[in-house]
Amino acid sequence: MSEALARTDPVSGLAFAGQGVTLSLAGPMARFSLRTRQPEALEQLLGIELPRKIGTSHDGAACLGPDEWLLRAPAGTTLAMGTGLPLAITEVSERSVCLIAEGARAAEVLAAGCPLDLDRFAVGRATRTVFETVEIVLLRTGDMRFEVEVWRSFAPWLSMALESAARPLR
Amino acid sequence: MLLIHCPYCDEARAEIEFAYAGEAHIARPPDPAALSDEDWTHYLFIRSNPRGRHHERWRHIHGCGRFFNAVRETVSDKFEVTYKAGEPRR
Ligand SMILES: [Zn+2]
Repeated sequence: MSEALARTDPVSGLAFAGQGVTLSLAGPMARFSLRTRQPEALEQLLGIELPRKIGTSHDGAACLGPDEWLLRAPAGTTLAMGTGLPLAITEVSERSVCLIAEGARAAEVLAAGCPLDLDRFAVGRATRTVFETVEIVLLRTGDMRFEVEVWRSFAPWLSMALESAARPLR
Repeated sequence: MLLIHCPYCDEARAEIEFAYAGEAHIARPPDPAALSDEDWTHYLFIRSNPRGRHHERWRHIHGCGRFFNAVRETVSDKFEVTYKAGEPRR
């Protein structure tokens, strides 16, 4: 039944291109919130390696806090739920969308509203932070490529704000 | 921009990512029923409010999500040190 429902995106696929930066919407993907104080148990259950340092990512898993990871995987991925184990796996695929900022000016555009020192935010890093007052998870997936996870209802505003930062002043 | 060192992220981050959460090291009385109204009032409402070193709780709410403790100079607004929740008072 649910497969028959049309999936809609809160913003258009390509928001902006030009001036050294492209802003686009990533395709659908599976997202999971992983919580545990025993990451070994999660690793054993899922057969993956979790980064231990907060603010880093590895193989699609971002360590957001001492007991919290965000796992992003291809759309349709399902996970064992780990019933009985001291951990929580929650599917949050449609909670957020991912905006991609790519190009030589990507860091500059993000710096318009994000307080992180992006010069020192190396490839592979990932953290929860803010853009202006909107909470985001920012991932640096390339030297000139950032991915911004944002809750769906905030996406139209964030997309517009990034586009405003990307456009040259007239 | 004021930077605060999060002891969990082990990184100085912008104040906008944090939320203030009141004075630190105020333990809930183990047996509230044994307290007089006056003592309970003191526990609930009375804070030290010093001019100088202040022990306070902060939460890295738009970051790792953790509560931690900080010593802040209330005159200069300078953070002297931050440390993880549960660690002894500095
Ligand atoms: Zn933190």
